[in-house]
Amino acid sequence: MIEFKDVNKTYPNGVTALNNVNLTIDQGEFVAIIGLSGAGKSTLIRCINRMHEINEGTLTVNGVNVGKLRGKQVRRFRRKIGMIFQSFNLVTRTSVINNVLISTVPELSWWRKLLGLFPKAQKVDALEALDKVGILDKAYNRVDQLSGGQQQRVALARTIAQHPDIILADEPVASLDPVTAKVVMDDFKKINKETNMSILINIHHVELALEYADRVIGIRQGEVVYDGKSEDVSQDVLDKIYGSIDNVPKMEDQEEADL
Amino acid sequence: MNKSVQQQLEKAPNRTLYLSTIGIILAALLVWSFMGVNITGFDQRGTQIASNIFSGLFSPDLGFLFDFTSGGGVPSLLFETIAIAFLGTIFGSFLAIPISFLMSPSIVSRPVAFVTRLVVIFIRTIPSLVYGLMFIRVTGPGPYAGVLTMSLTSIGMISRLYVDVIENLDRSVLEAMTSMGCNTYEKIRYGVLPQLFSSFLSVTIYRYDMNLRDATILGLVGAGGIGAPLIFAMRAYRWSEVGSILIGLVVLILAVEIFSNKLRERLVNG
Amino acid sequence: MQHTIYDKIFKPKTYTLSNGKEVKQRASRVPLVLLIVLFITIVSWEVTNVDLSLLRTRGYQFIVILTDLFPPNWNFLSNIWGPLFDTIQMSLLGSIAGAILAIPFALLSSSNIIRNRVLNGFFKLFLSILRTLPTLISALIATFVFGLGTMAGTVAIFLFTLSYIGKLMYEHIENVDMGAFEAHESMGLTKVEAFRYAIVPDVLPTYLSVSLYAFEGNIRYAAILGYVGAGGVGLLLDERLGWRDYPSVGMVLLTLMVVVFVIERISEYFRMKLT
Ligand SMILES: Nc1ncnc2c1ncn2[C@@H]1O[C@H](COP(=O)(O)OP(=O)(O)OP(=O)(O)O)[C@@H](O)[C@H]1O
Ligand SMILES: [Mg+2]
Repeated sequence: MIEFKDVNKTYPNGVTALNNVNLTIDQGEFVAIIGLSGAGKSTLIRCINRMHEINEGTLTVNGVNVGKLRGKQVRRFRRKIGMIFQSFNLVTRTSVINNVLISTVPELSWWRKLLGLFPKAQKVDALEALDKVGILDKAYNRVDQLSGGQQQRVALARTIAQHPDIILADEPVASLDPVTAKVVMDDFKKINKETNMSILINIHHVELALEYADRVIGIRQGEVVYDGKSEDVSQDVLDKIYGSIDNVPKMEDQEEADL
Repeated sequence: MNKSVQQQLEKAPNRTLYLSTIGIILAALLVWSFMGVNITGFDQRGTQIASNIFSGLFSPDLGFLFDFTSGGGVPSLLFETIAIAFLGTIFGSFLAIPISFLMSPSIVSRPVAFVTRLVVIFIRTIPSLVYGLMFIRVTGPGPYAGVLTMSLTSIGMISRLYVDVIENLDRSVLEAMTSMGCNTYEKIRYGVLPQLFSSFLSVTIYRYDMNLRDATILGLVGAGGIGAPLIFAMRAYRWSEVGSILIGLVVLILAVEIFSNKLRERLVNG
Repeated sequence: MQHTIYDKIFKPKTYTLSNGKEVKQRASRVPLVLLIVLFITIVSWEVTNVDLSLLRTRGYQFIVILTDLFPPNWNFLSNIWGPLFDTIQMSLLGSIAGAILAIPFALLSSSNIIRNRVLNGFFKLFLSILRTLPTLISALIATFVFGLGTMAGTVAIFLFTLSYIGKLMYEHIENVDMGAFEAHESMGLTKVEAFRYAIVPDVLPTYLSVSLYAFEGNIRYAAILGYVGAGGVGLLLDERLGWRDYPSVGMVLLTLMVVVFVIERISEYFRMKLT
């Protein structure tokens, strides 16, 4: 369970990215977070695994007060949270399976870590993760030989092999074509159903958000302006999130790149 | 003519002056060089020697060229040259690793990077022959001096190319590893090294190719390899021997070049 | 997955997933490669008599010479100018001549310009063979043919420049997009005109930039050619090193450094403008 209580986040340069956010997300939910560029979506999900610090309020994840963690505790805490990025963030010069195996590195003994020798069980586990996202046959290919969609699925497999409770995805389909985007979203949905991982997705593509997510959170200038079932999202709600009808993203302008 | 067309026409950059200035400077430099170099054609003797070299090339000393056993034939001389270049490249590439990190502005502070860069430029400008002669004073004449020279002269170029690799590291995977709870050591071992490894290797192989050429000339100062026998054979006018050495050299360098290109292609394309 | 001999000797490992699927992992080649490299290193070590203890006991000799280079012998500067200009003139003339002659060679080697496989192959092979000859060795040969002096050095530089630029240029020309050429021909231009307006603009900047780069490198090479008697500061280096007059060597090196630095900056400036 993720709980935001009166959370405020101000960047050192004075930009207030989160303003009095209150949210509760239960285990196993599939949540889409939508909002304009710069609304604070990335900030919101990056606070959950302490990639960013919050300034005020409390943020608890599965009973752990995130703000109180120190050093090693932060790393141990992050093991339970997977993260997916718009630009995949893979080591492109090495094989698919080596990328997936990276997620298990912190659990290795020091000499295995040094030599890069992974136990058989972990290799099988990594291969199973690849199987789940349907690219088992690419296991020993180099990542730079894969298409964008395949690369994002490698990233997803990497996260699955981490066996997290929560997956945070920051615009995972923003650099994919519409068809591939759906394939990847299907994978997310499948993982969510099969393993009961909570999934939080930042997404600019409203149609996809409504189609796949059970719950939608709308952010505007750092504030939560909508929080409810995706079926209940109406044009009025979208207007509230995106300002006026002119700002509602259309098929063409979902390209907003994230940092 | 349309007015805006006229205006646009006038805007076209007029580079005639600039280009003709450069042309004049070039022409002046050329004339100056002509005056400096005393152009001599082939005289009687030169023509004779040229034809001797050619006939040497086409009728090489085959016994010498294929003498695999005695240790004084072309194969063993080439082998020594290969060995000098190989060890020199290995040593040089290892030495270049710390230096290249010290040269990368994204790893160390700017002043440190600048100072290291200066030192490397300094190392690079001294011709390899001079190092060869200096190292001979340390080790005495022989291939060991050649190895030391190669190690030192390789550093400059290798570390500069390594720096390019380091500066072009993809840092996004480090962010992903942070989010997975990896510590700094794990990030370097699994996020950075795999990226560096194949590029570094490719640079090293490229440099081996160059070192092999350089190793052939080190023999001229007595630092081992095939250069010394070549110069002796020439001074003694043993043209068929000269032919054998040149043939061996050309074949070896061509073969290594083709092989190293293949290898690097495979490294880049996985 | 295609199997090579290697896979037949070192059998791939098989992993079985919980749902029964099987995945084969080829045995890694890394251990074999490491073994080979290690083997060559050991053999080379033996062949070249590398002895690290010697470095420890006598390595100071190198430092001694290095420190002897400083302070450089400033009085020697007056002796340097002549050979230094020789060096510059040699590399300038050799580079220009080589760069110019590289054009026909590159064209003759390019299969998209001269459609004659035999001719292309011949010139490519010629350039490759020429390139394998280290400059110092061609200079050595040239001193026998042309006699000692700057002419031999110029010829050596010329040959190297020809092969270097020739190879880079034919590689570039062969990769030029021929679409523009065909478009021009279809507009009724002759082959030569089409070449002038479609290929030249594409190739010219690279040609100039490569030529400048070659000239830059040639200055360094020219500096040592004197060692085999082919003129230039190399002669001084040889002589002064022989006499162990290290401060003068230091002066030569210092001057060389400055000249190389200045020429590199100038050449870099123009190369930046070209790209
Ligand atoms: N590292 C940072 N330092 C300072 N300000 C930042 C930083 N990251 C984000 N911001 C600011 O915080 C606000 C929220 O940014 P955030 O990245 O969360 O938006 P977003 O909703 O993810 O936008 P997008 O859809 O473009 O990714 C913006 O005004 C942004 O300029
Ligand atoms: Mg964002």
